[in-house]
Parts: sequence; structure tokens; C-alpha cells
Amino acid sequence: MRILACVSTNFTEKRTFVLAVVCLLVQGLASAATLKINGSTTVNLPVAEAAEILRAERSMVIQVDTQGGSAGGIAALGDGLVQIGMSSKHLDETARTKYPNVDFQETRIGEDAVAMVVSKDVWDGGVRALSKDQVRGIYEGRITNWQSLGGPDRRIVFFNKEPGRGTWEVFAHWAYGDSKKAPPVSLLEVGGNEEARNKVASTRGALSQLSASWADGQTVFALALKNGEGQPIAPTAENIASHRYPMSRPLFLLTNGPPADEAKVFINFILGERGQGLVRKHGYLSLDQLKAW
Amino acid sequence: MTGSGKNRHEIPAAWSWTQASSWGFTGLAGVALGSMVLLFLWQSLPLWQHAGFGFFTGERWFYRQREFGILSMLYGTVVVSLIALLLAAPVGIGAALFTAEILPTRWRTPVKIVIELLAGIPSVIYGLLGILFLREWVYRALEPFDPLSGDTLITAGLLLAIMVLPTVMTLADDALKSVPAAQRRAARGLGLTRAETTFTVSLPQAWRGMIAALLLALGRALGEGIAVFFVIGRQDNQWPAHLLSLRPLTEAGQTLTSKLVGAEINLAYGDPLHWAAMVGLGLMLMMLVGGITWLGARWMRRKEHHAQGA
Repeated sequence: MRILACVSTNFTEKRTFVLAVVCLLVQGLASAATLKINGSTTVNLPVAEAAEILRAERSMVIQVDTQGGSAGGIAALGDGLVQIGMSSKHLDETARTKYPNVDFQETRIGEDAVAMVVSKDVWDGGVRALSKDQVRGIYEGRITNWQSLGGPDRRIVFFNKEPGRGTWEVFAHWAYGDSKKAPPVSLLEVGGNEEARNKVASTRGALSQLSASWADGQTVFALALKNGEGQPIAPTAENIASHRYPMSRPLFLLTNGPPADEAKVFINFILGERGQGLVRKHGYLSLDQLKAW
Repeated sequence: MTGSGKNRHEIPAAWSWTQASSWGFTGLAGVALGSMVLLFLWQSLPLWQHAGFGFFTGERWFYRQREFGILSMLYGTVVVSLIALLLAAPVGIGAALFTAEILPTRWRTPVKIVIELLAGIPSVIYGLLGILFLREWVYRALEPFDPLSGDTLITAGLLLAIMVLPTVMTLADDALKSVPAAQRRAARGLGLTRAETTFTVSLPQAWRGMIAALLLALGRALGEGIAVFFVIGRQDNQWPAHLLSLRPLTEAGQTLTSKLVGAEINLAYGDPLHWAAMVGLGLMLMMLVGGITWLGARWMRRKEHHAQGA
């Protein structure tokens, strides 16, 4: 409509040009109504698909991005760059103190588990479960070979999730009680889930923290974690929902104040039956599954 | 320059628009650059109070422990850029010799356009190709040295070499082409072969331009972020035990840019000291890239003066 109006105005060339520029500016302003979403690559999977559906069915204009993971989502929301932040961790006090003027509201859309994943050679070599002490030992560089963990004679390559990522926060919380207590280490770092899976799959002796739903059991494999009694607990849906598996985390959509306008439409869709179906489709637990167990 | 003030009064109209606006915009660019540097300096103030000169000499970067030393990252940056330059220089200059000296003129432009297109490919694409292919190849090729993974300084250097190749090639080609064709004809007329002409007439006159090309390529290599980010492993504090040892090249590392591209900037925001340290990294990078590019541009200009003088 707007474009047609611009083209049909019959003026001299110069004026048409000026008008075209004005029209472009107006369009630029109009697109401020775009729903912008940024954050965790874990939450991104169902969100991106929901965005696809809403674009097609309700012709909403939605941009979904995954710059900087959960911390990136929180920062983008705090700076007012997006209307919805995606986060795979609870909002901590630091975020609230950083952005005192932002009224962060968490809307839970599902639950995910963080798994310690290994490459095929390690899995085939017989490593199926790790205890907390063993994971700490690897993280801190005291255990450097899979042989001492019952695996093949190969150096352990730990791809550490970047600090600030929801995955890393959950890991650090489990291994050290608080992410601030995690010891300073210098390990290889990976960012998004795609990168972590790709690098673990293509490196022998690799280990990383990764959203359990990304462990496909073909190229990367999720290890079980041994509980206090030495019992291995695998990241299955049942164990996650019952919280027997220790590294699980809620998935959130964050808004500044209660969701409004397009953001509200979007969040309601995700919370609805079809949206929750998308959450399940990508290997996470939907809200009703959490209640059922 | 118009010289005396009297002249200016005679032709005020011609002066006012063209010259005033060009001065105005140049000034604007200068002010933008100046205020950017000032802003960076101001934002990084807490860092200088905290770490002082140790920022440049410290090998350890642990932001939770309030340790901010960039030496390891500087090492990564320098090594990766040098690898890139060492690999890109012979290939790029060789390709330039081919297009400028051997290729018929009507073929030169299409070939050059294709190569310059390579420079226009977004670096994130190079990075993804790096993850898909280069990491694997390097991992396999380095097998005898037992690398921990395919994320190594060599991988990053190789990727950068591919990325700066068009810059080296096209600028070196320009340098060769700026040698007057009449001199080549004269040399051929004296009975020199094509190779002799190239090595005794063209190259000696174009070498300044070649160095400028390499410096500008180095500037690009130093400043490249995303592509390096994907294949370098982003491992902090990889200061080598022996500076000249080649062993660290098969290990992961971190560069100034890969650090800045990473997620740490999100954590730094709101923590004045950590933020200042990240801004300090940016300032460092800006000075490094700016310095090298300026040097390259200066070489280029001097080359022109020589050409005019000759």
C-alpha cells in the first residue's frame, strides 16, 4: 500500500526522488513494530519455528537472533533493542542491578537438561557416566586422559561453553554450587549449540556441556551423571521432570514488564497447545509434561 | 590550494561549495575519529587505574580474578596475522604477476573482478566454511603432531590467508600496472625476454606498492574477527613457553578480535572494570589496525611520488 502510494505520485523526477526517500523513512519507522527477539540458542529452536508459523499465518514481522546466548538476550532486552529475550537460566541479581530501570518478567515455556556430551570414540571406548568429582577433575585439568575414566587412551579435549551462556551457568551451578565459585580455567571455548555439537562430533576425545536435546546419539552422546550413591542418572525426560537428573534448567522468554502487543501474541502462542508442541518437538519438556511427572 | 587570500575573494562561489563541503566532511570524519578515541580512552579509564602498564605485559586474563593482561592475545593476533601474510604474499604476488604481466589485457579485468569478489564475501561465511572444512583438514594434516583439536593458530592463519589474498593480489596488480607500458616495450625491444622484463623492469619499480599491499592486507588480517573466532578455539592465556617454538601453532589460542567478538562483552557490560578492560582491548586493536593501515597508505603515496619524480 505504502509503496503503491509512492510510485503513483506523479511529480517531477527530483520530487519523486525526495518522496521516495520520505516513503522509505516512513517505512523504516513503521517497521519499528517489528517484533525482535534475541538470546539463547537453546530457546531459539522452538521460538524460531513459532516465528515462522506466525509470520505465515498472521503476517507478523518477527526477527529472531541468537547473539551472545542468554546473556546476550538479557543485555539486548535491557538495552531496549528487542522486545523478547530468550534465556535458558534464571535471571540473577547482577542482571537486575545492571538494568535497574528494566522490569524483567520471566515467562517459563519449558524445561531442558544440560548433558555432558562426548564424541563417538569416547562413547564406544566405554565411558557412559561421570561423577561430579570426575567432571571437576577434568574441568580443572587434573584428569587429562580418558584412560583413567575407563575409556580409550586419548587426551581429553574439553570444549568449555562460553561463560554467560545458560548452559555454562547450569553446569557451573551443578559442579561448584555457584557459578561465581567456578575456578578460573583456560579451556577451548565454544559458543552456540551448533558449534559445540559440530566440534565435539569432529574431535576425538572431546567432551562438552550441551543441551541434552542436541545429543543425537549418532555423532555426540550424552553421558549419565552419577549421583551421591554412585548411581548413573541419564538425562531422560522422566529423570529431568522429576529432577533426579541434576543439571536441568527452565527455559524462559523475558519481557520488560508484562508481555504486551506483539510480544503478548507471541508468548501466548508458545504457551498454547501448538507452541508447547514445538517445545516438545525439539526435545525439551513442555509445561504439562513437567506437571505430569 | 589557492594560495593568497586575494584569489579567494575573486572566486568566492567556486570556493565556497566544493571546498567548504569537502573541508566540512573531512573535519567531520576527523572529529568522529577523535571523539571515538577519546570515548574509548575515557571508558577504559578504570582499567588504566587498575592494571596500568601491566595490561600490556600481563600474560593472564581472568576477569573474575580481576586479572587483565593481553600479552597472550597479542601473541595470538601477531602469529595468526603473520601466518596469513606469509601464505598469502607469494600466492597473491604470483597471481598479480600473472594478471599484470602475462594475461592479455582483455582477460585481466574479468579475472580481477572475480578475485575482488572474493574480498566481498562476508567473513562469517568464511568462518562457517572454516568450521565445515578447514578445521577437519588441518586436524588431519597435523595428525603427526598430535593436536588437541582442529582449532589451532594454523587453522586461523590459513583461513585469514584466504581472506586477505584478494587484497594482496589486486593491490600488487595495481602496483605492477602503474609501471609504464612503454618501459616494458623498450625492454622487450632491447631483446629481454618476458621473464627478464618482469624481474628487471616491472618488479623493481613496483616493490614499494607491493609492500603497501602487504601492509594493507596485514591491517585486514589484524582486524578480522568473526572468521577467526570460529576456528581458533578461543583458549585464553596461551602464552608460549618458548617464543620462537612452533609447537604453540598447533594449539588453540585467542586473538584480540576473537575475544571482542565472543560472549564476554555481554558479561562485561555493567561491571566498570571488566568493561574498561574490553574497551581497552578495542583501543589496542584500533591503534594496531590504524597504525598498520596508515603505514600502508603512506607507502602507497610515496610510491606515487616516486613514480611522478621518475
